[in-house]
Amino acid sequence: MSMISREMAWRVFAREFNDSDLMIEGEEERSPSYLITPLGAKVNRVYLVGVLTECENIGTDEEPMWRARVTDPTGTFFVSAGKYQPGVATSLANMEPPLFVAVVGKANTYQPDDDTFLTSIRAEMVKEVTEEQRNIWILEATKSLKNRLEIAIEASKMDEISVEELVDLGFDEKLADGFKKASEHYDPLSFNKYEGMLEDSLRYILPEYESESIGEIDEEQSGEDERDEELEEFIIEIISKIEDEEGLENGVEYDRVRTKIMDEKDITSDKFEEVVNNLRSDGSLYEPVLGNLKVI
Amino acid sequence: MQEKEKFAPHVEDINRALNGKLSEEQIEEELRTYTERYGVPLGSAKRSIVKKYEGNPQDLYTNTEKSIEDIIGDEQGLDLKCRIVSINEKEIEVDDKPKQIWYGILGDDTGTIPFTLWEEPSIELNKGDTVKVENAYANTWNEKPQINIGSRASIKEIDSDEVPDFESEAQKLDLKDIRENMRNLDITARITSIEKKIVNGRDDEEKELFSGIIADETGKAQFSAWHDFDLSEDDVVRIKGGYVGSWRGIPQYSFDENAEVEFLDDDELSPSEELDDLSVYTISDLAKRGGAIDAVIDAVMIDIKSGSGLIFRCPECGRVIQKGACRVHGKVEGEPDLRVKGILDDGTGALTVIVNRELTEDILDYDMEKAMETAKDAMNQEIIKDDLEEKLIAQPLRVKGNITSDDYGLMLIANDFEYKSIDVEEEARKMLDEVRV
Repeated sequence: MSMISREMAWRVFAREFNDSDLMIEGEEERSPSYLITPLGAKVNRVYLVGVLTECENIGTDEEPMWRARVTDPTGTFFVSAGKYQPGVATSLANMEPPLFVAVVGKANTYQPDDDTFLTSIRAEMVKEVTEEQRNIWILEATKSLKNRLEIAIEASKMDEISVEELVDLGFDEKLADGFKKASEHYDPLSFNKYEGMLEDSLRYILPEYESESIGEIDEEQSGEDERDEELEEFIIEIISKIEDEEGLENGVEYDRVRTKIMDEKDITSDKFEEVVNNLRSDGSLYEPVLGNLKVI
Repeated sequence: MQEKEKFAPHVEDINRALNGKLSEEQIEEELRTYTERYGVPLGSAKRSIVKKYEGNPQDLYTNTEKSIEDIIGDEQGLDLKCRIVSINEKEIEVDDKPKQIWYGILGDDTGTIPFTLWEEPSIELNKGDTVKVENAYANTWNEKPQINIGSRASIKEIDSDEVPDFESEAQKLDLKDIRENMRNLDITARITSIEKKIVNGRDDEEKELFSGIIADETGKAQFSAWHDFDLSEDDVVRIKGGYVGSWRGIPQYSFDENAEVEFLDDDELSPSEELDDLSVYTISDLAKRGGAIDAVIDAVMIDIKSGSGLIFRCPECGRVIQKGACRVHGKVEGEPDLRVKGILDDGTGALTVIVNRELTEDILDYDMEKAMETAKDAMNQEIIKDDLEEKLIAQPLRVKGNITSDDYGLMLIANDFEYKSIDVEEEARKMLDEVRV
């Protein structure tokens, strides 16, 4: 079908967006350009919700040139709007940071020299929104990111990445094409950090992790925390219960205990590991066979 | 890789017509330039290339035996070995005289294609016969190739071994996956509405048409039955042998007396009310499908277009007027109306949504009289659009309606509309559990 469809708006986190340094220019006069992110999002337009932290008019009243910064849990988007976006200029002129804002805009890049590649967003729309709307966006962006991490996993199983095969697996054609282009340009080892980013972003919108902020989570949990006696007791209780009910002599598989505990209590995998390590080091639990936990 | 295969038969055609003047690589390069860079249709591209290198374009078509999948719709002198998947007889009128023609579907192991046989064949033809067709030609209808077997062509029966076996069984599909031009489908669905119409066929001959809506667990479609199968509302039926037409992108399942209709137990499918709630589509699915009736989408409103809010329409034609003047009828006394024309985007695609006056009043939480007053007080008609932006932009919405498509993309005419409540924490916890495993 030869539809001129409107470019859809990608939900992509600032870090992935700003890590991008591959721009595919449209070949014909009116065909769109795309910024290809390391995970293959083929971004012409973006939709984001974050915190407006700075905004200023570096132009004049007649010829405004607005520059704004909008942060999400992973980084900062650089947003601009000039005289051709009068609606945006008016909105920004009436905003006093910090504020939750939604932004729709086009991916833009600037290369001042060979080694520097700067990304920004030329805004088409900026609107003040609520924290709730911001959290909904984070959820949408994590879903979108998860889909791209899944395509990365499937693609890593292929000798040569094939767009057709990826589409057959159920991935969107735009994404499959973007991923192939990304894989020819970016270092595949950089994927790992986005897996961490996915978990961190989800924790960011959950009240039980409120005290943590992105990037600090790992350090915090390896430190000398106070021991959580209630959780320790609960873990021992669960293991004993499974052992009794199923007459297991060699203990219960580690992963099974972890899944069960994480189902019942809202804790991270790291937290579980920390508590189990404490219990093992004081002798409450031991491993009769490798990978199984048993109560002493 | 796949690209190369796509061009291979055409490179062969050109090579034959040019008698080795160009290497196959050069021909492929030329073909790519014409078709991919300049967007020239394959058929014209082939002719132009042959002419450019001083060959005779006629030679492109000197009786070449082709597989069905390679037929692009401009071939002449076409030979093929195939099997008759279906054949029907029909009377048409040529120069005021009745004339008998035959139509149906031919197939080989590479695909199927519709055909029309314009002259009475020398042998009796039946479904399942293996035949060799010589000197036929192909053209396109609705952008799909079809074969014409005219007076200069011949058709003869050949040994069935000459065409490998292929699947000509009706294809079982969910309603969500049906696309325009699909043929010989096997659909199981519930009839959620049906009405009988009398339509005028050729020669003003009256024909009964039973049309309505069918639904399964994945979606809905309009249907047209050109034969009285004694269908009634709420029946669960399996319809084998129908084909998919479309109206402005909305796929329609049509079937006639050649179809097989089987009535199934009521519990084969959920009740109508439940099927109603199940047609949630992504915009990317809809773009592939072309349209849908009574579809539900979950998306965010990311733009409200000009021409939203309080508008004035021409009393003659209903067009939205600007500065008191209609594009066609000049200066008119405009009639006020309220609407939203916006862009919904779900992260898989985007579409234009139109929301009527009644639903727009619900969104604004005030009626048109109040809107008129407000605009008058502010001396600004745009103030209503501002209110709509305030209430809709960046909001997750669930919108239901009919979706059509044209050259400008997809359009949703909303008939139901709600703010979608999302339990962010619950969904985030669920996802966190999934990714931690």
